[in-house]
Amino acid sequence: MAVQTISKRELTQRTAFSLLVLATAIVAIPVLFIIIYIAVNGAGAISWEFLTQPPSQAGKAGGIFPAIVGTFFLMLGALIFSLPVGVLAGIYLTEYARDNWLTRLINMAILNLAGVPSIVYGLFGLGLFVLAMKFGMSLLAASLTLACQALAITITTSREAIIAVPREYREGSLAVGATKWQTIRHVVLPHALPGIITGAILSMSRAAGETAPILVVGAAFILPGLPTSPFDQFMALPYHLYTAAAHVPGMPKTTIWGIALVLLVVVLSFNSLAVFIRVRIRQRRFGS
Amino acid sequence: MSLDHTLLSNRAVRSAEIQLKTEQVSLFYGTFQALRNISLDIREKAITAIIGPSGCGKSSFLRLFNRMNDLIIGARIDGKVVIDDINIYDRDIDVVELRKRVGMVFQKPNPFPMSVFENVAFGPRRHGRINRGELEGIVERSLRQAALWDEVKDKLGQSALALSGGQQQRLCIARVLAVEPEVILMDEPCSALDPIATLRIEDLMRSLSSDYTIVIVTHNMQQAARVSDMAAFLMMEKDRAGMLVEYGPTSQLFTNPKDKRTEDYITGRFG
Amino acid sequence: MLQRGAPSAIASAGLSRSLRRRWRFGEKFIESFIFFNGLLAIIVLLGVLFLLMREGLPVLSYTSPLKFLFGTKWYPVSEPPTFGMFSFFMATLWVTLIATAIAVPLGVGCAAYLAEVAPSSVRETVKPVVELLAGIPSVVMGLIGLLLLSPLVQSIFNLNTGLCGLTAAIMLSMMSLPIIVTVSEDALRAVPKEFREASYALGATRWETIRHVCIPGALSGIAAAVMLGVGRAIGETMTVLIVAGGALAVPLAPTEPMMPMTAAIASGIGNAVRGGLQYQALFAVGLILFLMTLSVNLVADRVLERQKRKFAR
Repeated sequence: MAVQTISKRELTQRTAFSLLVLATAIVAIPVLFIIIYIAVNGAGAISWEFLTQPPSQAGKAGGIFPAIVGTFFLMLGALIFSLPVGVLAGIYLTEYARDNWLTRLINMAILNLAGVPSIVYGLFGLGLFVLAMKFGMSLLAASLTLACQALAITITTSREAIIAVPREYREGSLAVGATKWQTIRHVVLPHALPGIITGAILSMSRAAGETAPILVVGAAFILPGLPTSPFDQFMALPYHLYTAAAHVPGMPKTTIWGIALVLLVVVLSFNSLAVFIRVRIRQRRFGS
Repeated sequence: MSLDHTLLSNRAVRSAEIQLKTEQVSLFYGTFQALRNISLDIREKAITAIIGPSGCGKSSFLRLFNRMNDLIIGARIDGKVVIDDINIYDRDIDVVELRKRVGMVFQKPNPFPMSVFENVAFGPRRHGRINRGELEGIVERSLRQAALWDEVKDKLGQSALALSGGQQQRLCIARVLAVEPEVILMDEPCSALDPIATLRIEDLMRSLSSDYTIVIVTHNMQQAARVSDMAAFLMMEKDRAGMLVEYGPTSQLFTNPKDKRTEDYITGRFG
Repeated sequence: MLQRGAPSAIASAGLSRSLRRRWRFGEKFIESFIFFNGLLAIIVLLGVLFLLMREGLPVLSYTSPLKFLFGTKWYPVSEPPTFGMFSFFMATLWVTLIATAIAVPLGVGCAAYLAEVAPSSVRETVKPVVELLAGIPSVVMGLIGLLLLSPLVQSIFNLNTGLCGLTAAIMLSMMSLPIIVTVSEDALRAVPKEFREASYALGATRWETIRHVCIPGALSGIAAAVMLGVGRAIGETMTVLIVAGGALAVPLAPTEPMMPMTAAIASGIGNAVRGGLQYQALFAVGLILFLMTLSVNLVADRVLERQKRKFAR
């Protein structure tokens, strides 16, 4: 008599798989919830005034324009200081470095730079840029600090982009009597450019979202005007959000969510742009 | 499978001037010996073919002449490679200048991901020619020499990757010609191409050889017979090191080889 | 300007003259500059270490190392000030352990699902979501913890305040998830398919294969993923600063408000007199923190290297 029974093993499998799906759901759903919650609750604060006016009433009213500007300057500053180093280091690691202890040490250093806590970068920036080099609590000090943090990203992405350039292009260039640097500059780098740009965008996005380093190195909650020189103090979105949420009694909730929404939009749009470029590169190179 | 003797190159060897030679050259990749004791004199403005079964080191041998083996970690040579009485493996040789004088065309066409014009102008630009008018002249001359001008003269700005395989290879040849080399090394230049493109390249080789010394590696014996003035037969020994078996005028090597191993290879008994 | 192909006069005169070494100054200078930039990663890392030591070690001549590490009283403004960081260390321990305990089963389970079970459409949707999670700034996570999670924790556990280690640990676990999922998934995919096929051929179900072949095969990679997640949790600042409560007493339970090391530094450094004792003490805490994350990352790197070599073909 053929009675369909589920074997014990099949049952185990089904249970296990359900748990796995559950785990995945628990991983994935909160993110979406968070983003949607912020979008819904913060949308109310977004207005032309909010985005273009400075804060008033100790930040409880008005806008966040200086914080947006400050964040923009920080992103630019971090980019300026970390991208050239990242590209040159990537060139060194792909084109010149030999397989020896020094190279292994450099690679280890890169991985560990990525793992340094952001507050430690803050201390480093304080000790070196603010105090020892006497830049003071300033945009310059903060940009340099964030650039150090971004180094791991720019070096790694540049290196990957440069390694991906096919050997045939280099050979073709050398075989017509171009020097190694000419080959790098005119054949390798142009071809690696999209990948390098991806790294640049990711480092900017990282700089936009970091609070701990700038907390230590120069960010302020309310400033009378916009920074006019790299040595000025500055406002920035993540620090503004932190202070507003944790240190201003009576801060309207909508405003807090609004600041969070603006910050999220900046960071996530840059991340998406980087991913978009990465996908386009892959399509262009391998899809057609 | 015997060779059609009517296809043999009938070209007299134009000049007996020696331009390149190797003297007892051995090539090592680390501890592995790729070439053993090869001595060969390459004649000026002739087409010399390097033939032999696959894996015997023909490409490695070719790359001795423009020191492209330098790019491989652990590569070193014993013996000398001499061009105009200078050992090009001397310590004070400018490799970049060497590669300007000794150009190379690769097995798989490798145009840069740039326009046709930029590809050909690449070499001259790197060597300091920046005048646009001068470059245009060089590009046209090189493309004409490579028998490609008529096909691309209206599309100089288009991407080189849009050309067909045969056109890309002729573009690579033009790219090499643009830096005015003395010697052109060709590493199985037709193996990735269809028969018609192959024949066009062979015609091109013949026309170029009145002005340039050409050394071609090929695993296609008929091609070697059709195109070359001199032929060198390389073979792998038991330890996988390549050695020179026989070298002489093509017509003689293919009709009356001196070494039995050459004869076996030519007649298809192995390889 | 048409010219029939004729080698230029210099060339036909022979190769000899031009072949000797030409000194290319520009090239040498550029190469040295490139080399310097290559070293910069090491220079910055060592610079961080050096600076932390220079600014932080002096406090150990004021307080003995044992008292500093295991003392429980951190009173920078008392007369005389005392610096014992043990409560910070315990707080870091609490939040890291709980965050890891939450994140590892979820992360590895999710990774196993994505690598072995999920259809590619699901995979292509979930992976970007996980990357999205990685992109959320820590201050935003802190905010969510503060306004959404802590009231919840407060009511569930009947606490005075929801700002405690547990809340912080939950938010931290979310922040460790992306790295655990990504690295574990890579490790699982690196297990050669021949192993799986052998298992199926012997009649095992997919789950049995995952459990007895894939996960053990990827174990070192998963271990590395866990370590990287731990490193992330140890080093996270803003979330714990906002949500962990900031209390200075040694925490005996996760539901107490506490102050992990990162938060201690962040909250104290603003007020510390430059070069003063508190300043030095905070740098010393930073040094300990740096060494902790450095060692965790170094071990994780070693493990990953070994796993890569194991399956290299």
